[in-house]
Amino acid sequence: MAANADIFTEREPLGFPLVSSIAVHVLLFASILVYSFVAGRPGQNWGTGGGGDAMGVTITSTIPLPRPPVETTNILANDSKGLTQSQPKVEEVQPPPDAIPIPDRNVKPKPKPREKPRETAQEKPKPVEEVNNVVPFGQGGPVSGPYGSFSAGGAKGGFGFNGGGDFGSRFSWYVRVVQQKVSENWLKYEVDPRISAANRVYVTFDISRNGQPRNIQVEQSSGVPSLDQSAVRALQRIDTFGPLPPDYAGNQVSVEFWFDYKR
Amino acid sequence: MKKVFPALILLFVSTLHLAAQTDWIRTGTGLGVEKIRIAVPDFKSLSSDPQAAGLLKVFNDTLWNDLDNAGIFDLVSKSFYPLDVPGQPQDVKFDAWGNPPPNAGMLVFGNLNVTGQNLTVQGWLYDIKNTSSPQILGKQYNDQATPEAARVIAHKFANEIIFRLGGGINGIAESKIAYVSNRTGHKEIWMMDYDGANQHQLTHSGSISLSPRIAPDGTRVAYSAIAGGNWEIQMYSLDLNRNVSFPRFGGTNLSPSWSADGTKIAFSSSRSGDPEIYIVDSTGHALKRITAAKGPDVSPTWNPKTNAQIAWVSGRTGLPQIYTMESDGTNVQRMTDQGYAVSPAWAPNGQFLAFAWIRRYGPGAPGAQDIYVMDITTKQFVQLTHDAGRNDFPAWSPDSRHLVFQSNRTGTDQIWTMLADGSNQKQLTTSGQNSQPNWSFK
Repeated sequence: MAANADIFTEREPLGFPLVSSIAVHVLLFASILVYSFVAGRPGQNWGTGGGGDAMGVTITSTIPLPRPPVETTNILANDSKGLTQSQPKVEEVQPPPDAIPIPDRNVKPKPKPREKPRETAQEKPKPVEEVNNVVPFGQGGPVSGPYGSFSAGGAKGGFGFNGGGDFGSRFSWYVRVVQQKVSENWLKYEVDPRISAANRVYVTFDISRNGQPRNIQVEQSSGVPSLDQSAVRALQRIDTFGPLPPDYAGNQVSVEFWFDYKR
Repeated sequence: MKKVFPALILLFVSTLHLAAQTDWIRTGTGLGVEKIRIAVPDFKSLSSDPQAAGLLKVFNDTLWNDLDNAGIFDLVSKSFYPLDVPGQPQDVKFDAWGNPPPNAGMLVFGNLNVTGQNLTVQGWLYDIKNTSSPQILGKQYNDQATPEAARVIAHKFANEIIFRLGGGINGIAESKIAYVSNRTGHKEIWMMDYDGANQHQLTHSGSISLSPRIAPDGTRVAYSAIAGGNWEIQMYSLDLNRNVSFPRFGGTNLSPSWSADGTKIAFSSSRSGDPEIYIVDSTGHALKRITAAKGPDVSPTWNPKTNAQIAWVSGRTGLPQIYTMESDGTNVQRMTDQGYAVSPAWAPNGQFLAFAWIRRYGPGAPGAQDIYVMDITTKQFVQLTHDAGRNDFPAWSPDSRHLVFQSNRTGTDQIWTMLADGSNQKQLTTSGQNSQPNWSFK
């Protein structure tokens, strides 16, 4: 026992290892901090929703005009309700029996502020039972049925970006312009003609304040070099998307654009 | 240790801050981008002034036509509109416009007010599907209370809408078309608005004037006319409303064409005997010849994007074919392979050539002359007119989405416009014979 205890009587010098350990940890955290400033990106949220229910239109780009839709459903003859709920009928507000009649010139308009809260409470729409895939009233976002102005695909019910800021929901019209311009300028004949289908290629770029695309990079390759190149060239062909909306406070927007190739 | 520990905690917490400062958009191809469904109800009149009704009609009609002609919108038919039409932002009922039957994606609305000699128009462009922040544009215009001013305001507002929703390409609502008309008895140069309004005569030479080309800055029109017994290039100034001097070259000088920066003019001259392509600067000096082959070389047109290439018609192999070359004459490439191809026009985006082609030319062949658009890199082409008379002299609009051309399908030569995919063909002129149109650069 005494012999065993002897081993432990010799105190290890703790000072130097502790300091060096702290130094290493400080260095580690500092490097993490620096790294997160230099190359910060939001997490990898690829393919939220995928292209599952998007219409597979092959966009040829010989003429710089938007293509007419492949299918047109006759709006009038179609008796489906569409995806959005109709607005619930607002009941007419009957003035309460003790309502004060329209004031005369001589009567002071005192009762008005008292009536207001009653009116707004009655105008709130009553909840209607929801059908399964119907988009709840007022939360439809930019998508609405097969003849909507543009189908976002991917996220159902509008632009739900994870951690991507609210640019997409506030300026969905600008996103649509970006989508249309890139699709128009993508020349599919640049891809190797032996390829019939390929994985998606993801390209990222920034749009500066005046609408110019910059920093075009292939984020995730499709495995087909000619497809990656044609995607990058599509973006290089574009001079401008139009200036960023004046209401938008930021100096640039980052775009992650995917290209689906199907011959 | 006690001092170091909180410092470590602080360091650790600070690394959790993510450095993504920019907003992100995620979207892709194959998502079926269609034309924007836009609803354009009539603007409301806020004044009871009797001339306001007339101005309002001019404004509404012009705005509707400009947006209809833009080629990027699908205008919702007026029969689908709800009965109460908004004049101010607070009148807009999003569900009435955004749901079927109108099912609009965008709404254009506003009001017009006349006070004395002043006309004030307020207009808004709303994204109907975005109820929280719908406003894309809100504009106010002031001008005199005349129909011309109402038309100009409508053109300006339509251009703003097209610029915003069409991806930064300017609208063409204020552009002009120069053309040749013989309705006075002689072929003179005329000019009109892009929609056919305001047709007026420019030259009064009393002889024959052909192939007008508007300068890129819009101040001059170059054309060819007989002067001193020869065909020479002449220059008409729109600022001074008369011709300005331009050198004479001798021989037959035809089809001037401006480079998009306005510094050079290419034309065809037979001063050496055989028609060849020459280049001069905008004052007509520094003459340089760039083709040297036997056979006529005529109708040059510059690449407006690079200002370094020229497409032209050459008869060096027999029938006229379209060729391209660098502007110093090198790298000659043949674009058409057969038939009779004339009148090339290079699209402002640099990617396409429009020209008139008789693909099967010769005795016994049907011989219809139609407008074709060819992609320059792949030489793939699309036929835009079918079974409709002789179509010739196509010219591109500045947004590369429209073409103007001459067609005799009604019996006489008239000026027509269409979208660059051949749809929406409209006649612009009706009186006399009208030909050889040219669209301004802006």
